[in-house]
Amino acid sequence: MRKYIEIFKSQLQLDAAYNGWFWANAVASVIGLLIAFSFWHAVYRNTTQIANMNLPKMISYVVIAMLLGNYVSGVGNRLSESIRSGEVAIELMKPYDLLLKLIWIDLGSKVSASVRDSLPLLVIGYAFLGVQAPVSLAGGALFAVSAMLGVLIGTQFDLIIGVLAFWTVNVWGLRVLRRGILSIFSGALIPVTLFPAWLLHISEVLPFQSMVYTPVAIYTGAIPLQAVGMTLLIQAVWLIGLYVLVRLIWSVALRKVVIFGG
Amino acid sequence: MTVWRYARLYLEFVKQVLKVWLEYRVDFFIGALSTIVIQFASLLFVTVVFEHIQQLNGWSFYQILLIYGIAATGRSIHLIFFDNLWTLGWQYIRTGNFDRLLIRPINPLFHLIADRIQQDGVGQLAIGLVVLIVAATHDGTVWTPINLSLLVLLILSSGVIFSAVNLFFATLSFWMVDSLPVIFATFSLSDFARYPLTIYNKGIRVLLTWIIPYGFTAFYPAASILEPAKFGLMALITPLVAVICSVLAYLFWNVGLRAYTSTGN
Repeated sequence: MRKYIEIFKSQLQLDAAYNGWFWANAVASVIGLLIAFSFWHAVYRNTTQIANMNLPKMISYVVIAMLLGNYVSGVGNRLSESIRSGEVAIELMKPYDLLLKLIWIDLGSKVSASVRDSLPLLVIGYAFLGVQAPVSLAGGALFAVSAMLGVLIGTQFDLIIGVLAFWTVNVWGLRVLRRGILSIFSGALIPVTLFPAWLLHISEVLPFQSMVYTPVAIYTGAIPLQAVGMTLLIQAVWLIGLYVLVRLIWSVALRKVVIFGG
Repeated sequence: MTVWRYARLYLEFVKQVLKVWLEYRVDFFIGALSTIVIQFASLLFVTVVFEHIQQLNGWSFYQILLIYGIAATGRSIHLIFFDNLWTLGWQYIRTGNFDRLLIRPINPLFHLIADRIQQDGVGQLAIGLVVLIVAATHDGTVWTPINLSLLVLLILSSGVIFSAVNLFFATLSFWMVDSLPVIFATFSLSDFARYPLTIYNKGIRVLLTWIIPYGFTAFYPAASILEPAKFGLMALITPLVAVICSVLAYLFWNVGLRAYTSTGN
């Protein structure tokens, strides 16, 4: 009997570890929301407008941006792990394009994450934090398109970081570096329109604000509907550019693998 | 004599780690740079917000920076020296490596901690110190040898509290195999501590003061220096909290260790 109880116990532990991560991430996200909520309420205690945004608008921006910001990372980690373990050599022999495979895995996991993780947080945002609905129906629809483009741009950038595992073993450091750059320039923490002019100019020539700022600004109406066409175009150009860049770095890296004899 | 022996042992561990650092210089650089960039990102965030406001709930920019600086430096002590606590579950217990530590003639907790010195913490320490200096020279505090040494004591306490809380929750791995999600979730509470606790509602303040005392890792130490009239007592309580947390965490660790060894894993 004793051994069966041990098996029973180990299954409990396995399930606990699996569910554990779900709850841990949920707790961390709720904490993030609470901090942002308290922080911005304190900021607006002595003022009603910051860069043409009132408190409800800012809260809407910050909450939606925080949720969307969770999607700009993903499968690069998996790529770097498979490079580090050497598993990539086997992957390369399989009859599919590894990068495309990873992009589709990424999309799959992001769709399921949006139902499992983001939806509950969004409900909390609407119900308790005062998040507003999209500026208009069209704005909501265009937000969805723009957010999709933003997520795809994020995936490409993530793959670039992943491929760099061919050159360094400190993948963790690279990922932290990526997170730092994104938290400044993607707009996940703060609308880039709050930046001082010089920083705003830097941000405008980088691809990062296309990931989060652009879609969320469409959501809140900070980018007016008639200007949305242009911003979508900019996003599309960045997406194609980064996709090509990933391919380039990838082919250089593969040559390196072949030289080392796989 | 044991203390002396352990100090010498620790030095031996450090030597090994330094050899690895020298071997992988690029990685060391990336690691240090990455934590600097993360810290820089949060600093930039605060700076940008303060372009638009004069004060946050009565606290000036440089006062907020002081809170930040204490949090970053305290955290870096934890990151450099106690980072291995995070890995107890997946690198030691799950793999069975922990049994290797148990047969050595030294304290297994010491062994676990000394097994790694986290290079990436060095960058964080550097930026923490810079922020502290900038904040301290601008926040209007008159610095004397007394409050300066107090500041050092409070920062050390901050590092100890971070580490003790992590030790407590890492210990759960003895029952759960890997308690990393619990450590991660608890650690994310420490993000609250980067801002004045006064901006939060009562429930959050009570939680961060009496239950998971992250309030003592940054806000209370900074406040005790900035506003001694109102928060002065916290300067005495903070080191006390650090000691209590360490004792509790270590006792809990011993309970976990006994549970682990008695099941004969």
